[in-house]
Amino acid sequence: MVNLKRKKRAGGEFSAGSMADITFLLLLFFLVTTNIDVDTGIGLVLPEYVPEEERIDTPISKERLVAILVNANGDVLLNKEVIAIPQISENLKEKIRSKINLPKNKKLICSIKVDRETNYNLFMKTLDQVEIAYTEVREEYAMGTYGRKVNDLTDEEYKDVREKVFKVVSFAEPEEIK
Amino acid sequence: MKFEKKRSESKQEIPTSSMPDIIFMLLLFFMVATTLREQEIFVNFVLPEAKAVQKIENKRLVSYIWIGDNERIQIDDNIVELKQIQKIMYDKRVTLPSVIVSLRADKNSRMGLVTDIQQSLRKADARRINYSARALF
Repeated sequence: MVNLKRKKRAGGEFSAGSMADITFLLLLFFLVTTNIDVDTGIGLVLPEYVPEEERIDTPISKERLVAILVNANGDVLLNKEVIAIPQISENLKEKIRSKINLPKNKKLICSIKVDRETNYNLFMKTLDQVEIAYTEVREEYAMGTYGRKVNDLTDEEYKDVREKVFKVVSFAEPEEIK
Repeated sequence: MKFEKKRSESKQEIPTSSMPDIIFMLLLFFMVATTLREQEIFVNFVLPEAKAVQKIENKRLVSYIWIGDNERIQIDDNIVELKQIQKIMYDKRVTLPSVIVSLRADKNSRMGLVTDIQQSLRKADARRINYSARALF
């Protein structure tokens, strides 16, 4: 007689022993492809573009303006005074400090002008010096007024710090070559 | 007197049964943290260094412009001409109003070129800019 009874199959399990190996492999793949390095840089907002015909030149008083000129050789002129790039921040800090208690329309304006042949690296160093000056003065002000670092301030306090040490960086309008 | 070594009753093994779970957790972390490098860079550049750098908080808003050492400009996957930048960036600005332009320029670039790009960005009204630099401590 034919045996019609079905054979019992082995229990429906799958081996989970190799699971760890498979996940390890996947993990390794993502470890290799991940780039954790974040983008760092100096952020700014460029001024709005106004066509030449509509431009209005507003006169700015001499004491508000700090003009930084960098020529192609890397020589720096800060308000008609020759200095080296690493000295910019010290120079600026004093000027920023003296204007903390002035109203917004009397804060310092920092104008950077570079030659077309100037090296980008020099420009970045200059911009960095300006940034350093502003961050350090903000840090000082936050420490003096609130007794905390800028990062630990509440939103309102931070806003106050930003208002008091108000940053205006302007790039001189490039001159058309005719 | 006879000394007998005391043997603890418990097993001296690390339980490995939860290993896959731990690895899964790690895996998930890396999967979430990964941004696959979707762009191939055709230009050679060395970023300048700066001390007062900030992180770009929102990576999704960032659009890159590369400037290579031989004044080649790359946006997305193409090498572009200076004249095209304004149009490309304007389109980007329309689709993503709060776009941040990250300028990844070689440190030996001429400022003339950088200024020209800045002017195009201003004309395209994509004015949030980030001068990419390596952090220096």
